[in-house]
Order: sequence, then structure tokens, then C-alpha cells
Amino acid sequence: MEPIKCEIVVLGAGPGGYTAAFYAADRGKKVTLVEQNARLGGICLNSGCIPSKALLHATAIFREAQASASRGIEFDKPKIDFPKLRAWKDNILEKLGGGIAGLAEKRGVQIIQGRGHFEDSQTLRVETAEGQKFVNYEHAIIAVGSKPAMPSAFDLGNKRIMTSTEALDLADIPAALLIVGAGYIGMELGTVYAALGSQVAVLEAMPSILPGVDPDLARPVSRFARKAFKEVRLNTKVSKMATAGKQIKVTMQTEKETREELYDGVLVSVGRAPNHGNLGLENTRVTKDDQGFIKCNAQQQTDDPKIFAIGDINGGALLAHRASKEARIAVDVILGEQNAFANIVIPAVVYTDPEVAWCGLTESEAKQKGIEVKVAKFLWGASGRALTLDRPDGLTKLIIEPETERILGVGIVGVGAGELISEGVLAVEMGATAMDLAHCVHPHPTLSETLMEAAEGFYGTATHTLTRKET
Amino acid sequence: MDVKLPQLAEGVESGTVVNILVSEGQEVEKDQPIMELETQKAVGSIPSPQAGIVIKIHVREGMEVSVGQVLISIDNEQSTAPAAAQATARAVGGASRPPPAEAATHRQPAPGVQSPEQFDDSYRYQSKSGVAPPAAPSIRKIANDLGIDLSRIKGSETGGRIVLQDLRAYIQQLQEIATQGKPATVEKAGTAQAPKEAVDFSRWGPIRREKMSSVRRTVSQRMVQSWTTIPKIDQFDEADITGLLAFRKKYASAYEKKKAHLTLTPFVLKAVAGALKKHPRANASLDETANEIVFKDYTHIGVAVDSDAGLIVPVVRDVDKKNLVDLARELNELTEKTRQRKITVDELQGGTFTLSNQGSVGGSYFTPIIYAPQVAILGTGRGAPKAVVLRGKITIRTRLPLCLSYDHRVLDGADAVRFLRDIVAGLESFPEGDVRLK
Repeated sequence: MEPIKCEIVVLGAGPGGYTAAFYAADRGKKVTLVEQNARLGGICLNSGCIPSKALLHATAIFREAQASASRGIEFDKPKIDFPKLRAWKDNILEKLGGGIAGLAEKRGVQIIQGRGHFEDSQTLRVETAEGQKFVNYEHAIIAVGSKPAMPSAFDLGNKRIMTSTEALDLADIPAALLIVGAGYIGMELGTVYAALGSQVAVLEAMPSILPGVDPDLARPVSRFARKAFKEVRLNTKVSKMATAGKQIKVTMQTEKETREELYDGVLVSVGRAPNHGNLGLENTRVTKDDQGFIKCNAQQQTDDPKIFAIGDINGGALLAHRASKEARIAVDVILGEQNAFANIVIPAVVYTDPEVAWCGLTESEAKQKGIEVKVAKFLWGASGRALTLDRPDGLTKLIIEPETERILGVGIVGVGAGELISEGVLAVEMGATAMDLAHCVHPHPTLSETLMEAAEGFYGTATHTLTRKET
Repeated sequence: MDVKLPQLAEGVESGTVVNILVSEGQEVEKDQPIMELETQKAVGSIPSPQAGIVIKIHVREGMEVSVGQVLISIDNEQSTAPAAAQATARAVGGASRPPPAEAATHRQPAPGVQSPEQFDDSYRYQSKSGVAPPAAPSIRKIANDLGIDLSRIKGSETGGRIVLQDLRAYIQQLQEIATQGKPATVEKAGTAQAPKEAVDFSRWGPIRREKMSSVRRTVSQRMVQSWTTIPKIDQFDEADITGLLAFRKKYASAYEKKKAHLTLTPFVLKAVAGALKKHPRANASLDETANEIVFKDYTHIGVAVDSDAGLIVPVVRDVDKKNLVDLARELNELTEKTRQRKITVDELQGGTFTLSNQGSVGGSYFTPIIYAPQVAILGTGRGAPKAVVLRGKITIRTRLPLCLSYDHRVLDGADAVRFLRDIVAGLESFPEGDVRLK
């Protein structure tokens, strides 16, 4: 069979892959996009960011309705129509997936559904429903992403032991749900399941939830979790799981003791692993690190000059928007332009209640690297808008370079933090100083004012707080 | 007292500290070299203006220092302000030049594009946090596309943020320098080019690498500059120095008593100075920007000295006004100072012509490279006995091989030959009266 010829083949149609394919096509390249799933969009769209955010939004109303009672507005106990909830969520995924396919078609990006396997540095074999196809390419971009990690000790083949993928299907609402790992995935899904009626217990091996997040930003989430979940157990590890009738028997260890408990369901959210299996990388010069992530340089080039890699498959921060940025860098480099992943601010958002978001340098990172910074904080208790929303549980802080007053990082916890952080990204990317931010008029009353007031606070002139310069 | 960096020379506002020759707590004598400084023009030492004890050294090796900057502090009980001023004036090489403070005020950067002379490419953005200089992503993209290193640009916005205007001004300055040519930036511009492909010499046998000394680098830059910008002609001739050698033999011991070692060089200097007086174009310089030829009423001749550090060219002032014994003595002193690296920047500047005498080492004809902005240089080899026809008879005479290399933009062939013939004549009929001690 005649091989398909293209200039760029992109393997994987997640936010990294489809951005790479579209951008390359917009820049005049002949592009083939290979994806094993019928619906484009990758993990993010199908079993990650999008469904989880849909469910978080849908269930937030439970908490809002409850809180409303203290404001004098009461509701009857809500009823949940699970098929309808699932259908609504799936409809969003269908709409977005279809949208991507439509955009690909209009751009002339050829889509092949099937599993890709590298034959050599110029040829990709694709196993499709209609048989094998061969793609002869000039450059390849690997964007195959990651999957939830499932330690083999937990992998009993029991459907009551879930990863985020299954949990997002909402097949069942276990009465007693154990979440192993209090990272952002565990905390977000715990929030969903707690609202839907599960008694949620969260275990974390580290001494705090959301490991890596600045402690002051994690604290309001921790307060929420202790209220909404049955239990948050830190410094605890699961050593064993076993099927016990319709339940799972979980053996866990703290420093002091070993406990055995029964749960109706377990969600394992201990991290993500690269999807590198069976790609035929051994037929190319691509190399991987000891965790199986593909090694590449700041130009996204792997050790094989024809092959680039973007997104989760390279490790680091596993974020869709990072993959999309890397996609553009890879395509620019293929086009012979100057570009590299350097000095790029990648924001992160945790969609817990309240949300946590940060960008640039964090306080923990500064401490760890011995970078001297000043931190300007604004507590949301002093924000009029936060009080009208009945959500004073927030904090906005700026990480500032003392000599230049340049904003190196921004951290926010509070309702809607994810929407607020982009102003921080702009400030850090533009090299803005705290004075720049203080001088920009922010509308009143909004939560965005907290950024301005934090900056004003740095100079001791915040209107709504007394001088709280630094900590 | 604080020892500040004196005005070094016209247009030289800064330099790099190459060597610090004293340490804190050390006692120094007046005129003792305290540090060596590399400027755009040369490497030279900075003498201590006072005797005393070094209480603090304010600079580091490798640091860029500008005129007026405090280099070291010396504790001397008799320290007075006039002494400091005097010392500065002396180091400057004359009281007529502006004192450092005043000179410094002339250096205020003009807004926008500076002239190439003012352009200072030593700035580097430094952040304790280790972050890149503040600039919007769009500006970083442009810089990246153009291969411009933003850390070399001083941002004009709050917090030193670099905006398009700053980037534009920087590029324009680079352009100015590229089009006008500025010797000092040759090396810097050179480093901006794509690095030459490295040859792996160890493939063919063991090797050893040595850092180029600052003198070596300066020589290298200046030679490339001269070689690539000056249309040069080499004119050969020979002078009969049998007579001169006889004088030298006859008067050497008398000169030694006057603490002057009489070599051939002072004779050549005298002959050249005489010829320069007759041929002022050979003593001139070219001002390319003004399209003018600059004639000098003084005759300062540089003499190339072979030192451990490399080639250094101290300048003998007013050669035409000095007698042979003074010249001989001064040459001995300058050579000694150069070899001990005690020569000051000032003593390396202002030459109008250069003599490169290889005779003491040996060798015959060679074609020297012009020491810009001078227009000519004389290379002399070793005088050797040769069979020559003199008054119809073959006799043995000592002949000195000469080569005059000159800038054809200023001197034409006929001018150069006449000039060189006059040098030869000066050597061949050197008046004994000028040799005899009075």
C-alpha cells in the first residue's frame, strides 16, 4: 500500500497534539493527526479537565444551597437524576470533541484513527480499523500524554478500585469512598463525590494535602476538606488492598500503627504515568528517562532530530496549557524559527472549593532555592466582594523581588481563583512591578481588587487593610 | 586618601582591571604600580600617587572601572587634597586635561542613541533571583528572533522593564558601531558572530591550552583592525651603517659612564625623526569621519619592545628635540619599565610613528603592520656584512635591511620612497657631532 506522505505527523490529539496540528496547518504545513480514540481532545477533554470541571460545577450547588440557609434562603433536599447528569456532562464532551474534529477538517488536517507505532525515524505505522496504514513524515510530534498511575499492588482488576478515568464516569456513588492521594485530582474528585453523597476519606502520604502548594494557599482547602469529608488522614500510606465481598479491604500504615478498613470504593490518585508503551520508540533515536518520560530539549526536540515531543509525555508539570505552549514551540522550531521553552510562566489551578491558583515563583520554591523575596498578602476577609459572596476564605499574595519590586509570582486561594490568576500571569510575563499593579485601577467591588490591594499593601497603603507589608 | 581612576587618555573613559598588584595592609611607595588596567587602547599600570598603607581595595580583577571611580584607599598621614589632585594630574600626563570629576560630568548619557564613542556595552542585567530581565513576551520574541541578548539592554520603564524603544536604541547603537567602526568593539562584535567551528587538535596528539593574556588579546585585536582596514604598501631599502657602528664602538664606553647603553636604536630614532620633519605626511593621521589629514607638530616615536607579556610599544616623546645620550638613556628606562610591567597607560599613547627593530634578535627583511592611527612603521632587521660596490670596488660594508610599511590612503609611493631614502641618508651620514658627548 502506498504510504501517506505528510510534512508533519502528530501522534495524539489532546490539547498538545491538536494545537500542534492546527498551528502547523495554519502555517502552511501538510499535517496528519493520529489518534486512537474516536473522539479527539485527549485525556483533558475526555477524562480529565473538562468532565471533572463539569461535575464540580454541577455539584457546587449542593454546598451553595446549604450555605444559603444561613442567608435566609432555604431549599428542599435536592434530587439527583444521575443519567441526566451524565448525559449533560457527556454532551459537553461530544460538543467539544466534535468542534475539534470540525476545526481539523476546515484546516485540511488529515485525521487517522488508530494506534501509532514508529517503524523508523521517517515512518509511522498506524493500526486502524481498516488495517495498517503507513505515514511517511518529515517531522513527527509525539503528544501521547499520560494516564493515571496505578501501582501494581492496587491493581486487582476490581472495578471498585478506580482511577480518575472511571471516577469521572459516575458509574456508582460508593457510600464509603477512600481516596488515596490528596493531590489536586484526589481533592477535586473528593469534592464531587462528597457532594453526591459519599462519605469521603482522603489519605495522603505527605504531611499536607496538595503537596507542593504553598501552605497558606492550601490551608483554606484543608479547612473545607475537614468539614466536607469524613476524614483527612496525613502521613499515611496504603500498603495493601484486597477484595472483601462487595467491599475493598484497605491496609494502611501511619508511623505509629497499621489499620485495616473496609470501603465501598477506592479512588487511586497517586500521580500520572507516561503513555509511552508500544510506540516503537526503540526504532527511533528517541530516549526516555528512568520514569519513562521522553527526554527533549527546550526546543522540544528529542534525541532523534526528526522527532519532537510535547506535553505530559515529557514529564514535568502535567498541564494541558503547557502542552499547548510546547506545541507552538515545536512547530516554530520545525519551521526553522527561533523559539524555546524558556522563561515561560505556566499557571496552575486546583479546582477545589475554594480554588487555588498560582503562577511564576512560589513562596515555597523561593525558600527552597534560597531566593530572597518579599511577600505582599491580602486576606479576603477585607474584601467587600468576598463578603457579598459569603466567601471570605481567600488570600491573594504577590512574590516580589526586593531590589526591583518586580512581581516574580502570584498565588491566590479563594472562590474563582482560577479566573483571577491570568492577571498574575500577565504581570509576571510583562515584568510588572508591584507599583505597576497598584497603579492599575481595578473595578469595585470585585475579587480582582485583591491583586491591586496586595500590591498597595506592599507599599503600606492598601485602603482596606492596615499596613501588612510582609511576612 | 582614595585613589581614583585618572583620566587615562582622550576618549578613554573606562578600563578593565587585569591585575591588582597590591593587597590590603600592604605598604606602597609613591609611583609603585598598584594595578594593571586594560583599556580599549592598551594595557598599562596605575601608579600610586602617594606612599602609605593600602587600607582598602575597592575593585576586583576583571571589573570594569570608569574614570573617577575609587580604586583603593591609602592611609598616608600627610594626605592632603592638593596632593591628591596633583597625583591625579601627574597620572593624567599633564595638567591641561580636565580633572576626573569634571570629565565624569561630560559622560552623562545622552537620551536615545549615544555616539559610538559613548556606547558602553558592559552592562549586564543581574538578578539575585536569577530571573531573566523584565520584558514583555512580545519584546522577548523580537529579541529572540534577532538574536539579541536582552540582558545587555538597560530597560527604561519602571523596574528596568525593557520596551521596544530600548531594544530599538540598542540595535541602532550596534548599527552605528558596525558602520563607523570602533576598534574597541571589534572583539565584542567578533564574539557576537557565530562561533568558529572548533578544531579538535587532540585527535592528532597531545595538546595544551593556554588562555590568551590581555596583552595578547589587545595585540590581536589591533592587528586585525589594522590589517583589515588599512591599504598597506611595503617599501624595502638598505642602509650602510658601517660608519654608525664605528661611532658606536668609539663612544659606547663614554655613554656607559653617563648610564646610557648605546644601541643602534637611538641612531635610527634620530634619523627617522629628521626624516619625519621633512615629510610631515608620514607623521600624520587620517580622520576618516572628517575626511581630513591630521598633521602633528610633535614627533613621538613608539618603539616595539619584546616583553614576557608580549609586544608592548612605549612611546619616546619629542625625539627630534632630544640628544643621543638622553634618547639612549630614556630607551633603556622605558624598555626596563616595560619588561617589569611598570609602564603606565599614558606612556603607551600618543605615538606618531613606530619603529620595530628586530636586529637584536636577528633576522633580515620583514613587513611590519601599521600601528593605527599612525600611517607608517619602520621595520629594521639585523645589520650584516655584505659585499658591496663602492666607488667601483667591491668592499665589505655592514648593511641594515629596512622596510617601511605605509598607509596608501595618506602616502603615495613616491612620497614613501623619498621618506625612506631620507632615513637611509640620515643613517649613512649621521653627523659625529651629534654622537660626541658635550
